[in-house]
Amino acid sequence: MDGNGTSEILVRLREVLRDSAVEERDWDAVAPETTIESLGFDSLTILDVLYDVEEEFGIALEPKQVVKTRTVGEIIGLLQQHGA
Amino acid sequence: MARRVAVTGLGVACAVGADVETFRDNLVAGRGGVGKLRSLDTSALRVGIGAEVDADTVRAGLKRLRRRPTDRAVDLGLVAAADALEAAGLIAGAPPHEPQPVAVVLGTGAGSAESHTTGHQRFHERGVRGLRPSTVPRCMYNSISAGISIHFKLTGINYVVVSACTSATNAIGMACRMVRDGYADTVLSGGADGFFDPFYFGIWNNLGVMSRNPDPARACRPFDADRDGTVFGEGAGMLVLESWDRARGRGARIRGEVVGYGESSDASHLTSPSAEGQAAAMRAALESAGIEPADLGAVNAHGTATRANDLCESQSIRAVLGAAADQVAVSANKSYFGHTLGASGAIEAIAALLGIEQGLLPPNLNLDNPDPECDVRLVGSEPERLERPLVMKNSFGFGGSNGVLVLGPGE
Repeated sequence: MDGNGTSEILVRLREVLRDSAVEERDWDAVAPETTIESLGFDSLTILDVLYDVEEEFGIALEPKQVVKTRTVGEIIGLLQQHGA
Repeated sequence: MARRVAVTGLGVACAVGADVETFRDNLVAGRGGVGKLRSLDTSALRVGIGAEVDADTVRAGLKRLRRRPTDRAVDLGLVAAADALEAAGLIAGAPPHEPQPVAVVLGTGAGSAESHTTGHQRFHERGVRGLRPSTVPRCMYNSISAGISIHFKLTGINYVVVSACTSATNAIGMACRMVRDGYADTVLSGGADGFFDPFYFGIWNNLGVMSRNPDPARACRPFDADRDGTVFGEGAGMLVLESWDRARGRGARIRGEVVGYGESSDASHLTSPSAEGQAAAMRAALESAGIEPADLGAVNAHGTATRANDLCESQSIRAVLGAAADQVAVSANKSYFGHTLGASGAIEAIAALLGIEQGLLPPNLNLDNPDPECDVRLVGSEPERLERPLVMKNSFGFGGSNGVLVLGPGE
């Protein structure tokens, strides 16, 4: 996991999270340690995140894996595992 | 025993105001909000005008609620609901809010139209893969009432009434009965519609009921001999209805009263109105209010500026009011903020309540040449004193649904 790759994925992921969110917040402040729960996602809206992540990065994720993630950094890790 | 129904909060978001004071001032000053549509490419359409709510204003309203835009009708509904609930003293400041047993009963004509159109576009482009998981909850018509219930933590029942252009008036009627008959102490009622999208605006374009007047400000002309159709608008209107005694008990400012409600179905034609059906709803409303036609100060008309509506509505008003129709002023507001479909009854009921509060009727914008076939007493081009503080609010929808409110003063 290289630093540049993480930050590039983070920038794209912020966009995806913002587009799926209902709540308004400072999306530029979203960091790898930010928890998914603190962003206001619930069991429904997280499905949109999963869908949009797959669209944005062109990969297929297992819903079970995504539901287990607790932080933005963990989603980035999952994306990198899948070759993003 | 029936309880009196107080109105303790008002909220509006439409082309002439996204707050109640601006809305009221623009009405009295005769300032309309119809213009060339900015949010929609109308190059392939016959009609390119409408009454839009300023996008920055909606964004700012949502930001105050810490929300991102989701669907136009939901967004407009949330912004207007926040103002109504705040004015009623039921919420203060930003979320999270404490749960409270308030019901949400709203009207909508096109529901979450934007979400429907987006979903269909993606489906046709990419098949089922194009559909986001949240398409179901976004496309539910009750996403408007549910979104408001969830955001403000209102734990009474939430649902929407769908009856085309009568939706909000039917919803307020339902809410009125809930409070009057003791099924709820407080109900947030009203309506929301936002349908300036290629599909929904396109189907109205093809129905051929919209004005093709090239001058937007003069296009919507209810009861004018030179009218050539209606002009559409987007918007939301919200009213907090609560039992009079409860409102008094908690020291709320009572801004008006829902004195009566009547309804009927034409049972005749999907789009052509029936004077008999409309008259039945008006008579039922007067009976429910326990008043005579001569007690009315004004009728806030459905007044769509289509020939079919204006002729039929003036006949039904004349039939119900009889000789009193020579005195009772007829006011029509759609020339200001367009025909907002399922929200129109709520936005116009708010206009009527503000008129009662001020003792003033706004001018009938664009009524330059009153149609001699419309045998009612129309408000002219200047604001007029409201002689008696009771206003009948008419709404008539495709499908033959008729809803009529009688609104009165607060204290």
